[in-house]
Amino acid sequence: MENVTLNKAFVVLLALSIGTAVLTDIRPQAGTIFVVVVLLLAGLKARIILTEYLGLRAAPEFRRGFSAFLIAFLLAALGLFLLA
Amino acid sequence: MTHSPAPVPAHADQDHILDTLPGDLMIWVLIVSELLVFGAGLLAFLGMRIMDPIAFAHDQDSLNRVAGAVNTIILISSGYLAARAVHSAQHMRKWLAGSMVLGVAFLIVKWMEYADKARHGIGIESSDFFTFYYLLTGFHAMHVLAGLVIFALMMRWPNPRNLEGGVMFWHMVDLVWVLLFPIIYLVR
Repeated sequence: MENVTLNKAFVVLLALSIGTAVLTDIRPQAGTIFVVVVLLLAGLKARIILTEYLGLRAAPEFRRGFSAFLIAFLLAALGLFLLA
Repeated sequence: MTHSPAPVPAHADQDHILDTLPGDLMIWVLIVSELLVFGAGLLAFLGMRIMDPIAFAHDQDSLNRVAGAVNTIILISSGYLAARAVHSAQHMRKWLAGSMVLGVAFLIVKWMEYADKARHGIGIESSDFFTFYYLLTGFHAMHVLAGLVIFALMMRWPNPRNLEGGVMFWHMVDLVWVLLFPIIYLVR
């Protein structure tokens, strides 16, 4: 069962990474929407690594804490991008 | 004179919240520390970008985004193989060896990127962008190297507890890269 979960997590991570690469290729001029989507994809990948690879699925309180940190970090990154 | 035993707290039989954490507590202290250090570095990078976004975009265009994307796929694949090593005592060495090969591949791609920059006369002092680029990606690459050394030690002296800790370190390196790559290579 754990291997099935790991397999699924890997496939989703692969799909999100390819999605980021394709998005970069079709939108080389970037811009705000591009940055929002790219940061969102990065956040999703980070959450999957925390939940499935690092095993935080078994520790929901800590998963919520790390998710809050991730959201705060990505919002700060977006805010600094928009300030430029 | 007899001593009565110390009173036991009412909640002593309950699981402590820290007991729910997978792996050793110290590896989580390390993971949080590393996330804070890299997070601060990445936010400082974006803060510096505010001063001169055009120069940052110009410098960023000289990065090899394909190499960065390839390295993302290499590292998440390596993380997957390392995770499988923890769940497969029988084939632990095989999974770990695969993970190490991909870790080395990551460093080779990174080395090729650095060599290409050096050929074009770009170094750590070329601009603010490249100072952050070399510091953050270089510091991350040092972690990849440290992870490979840890894996080599675990191949030589396998131990389930150490294996779990070492693989969690590797996932942390993976986690940092998925946040570092878009901010350094793509955000513009």
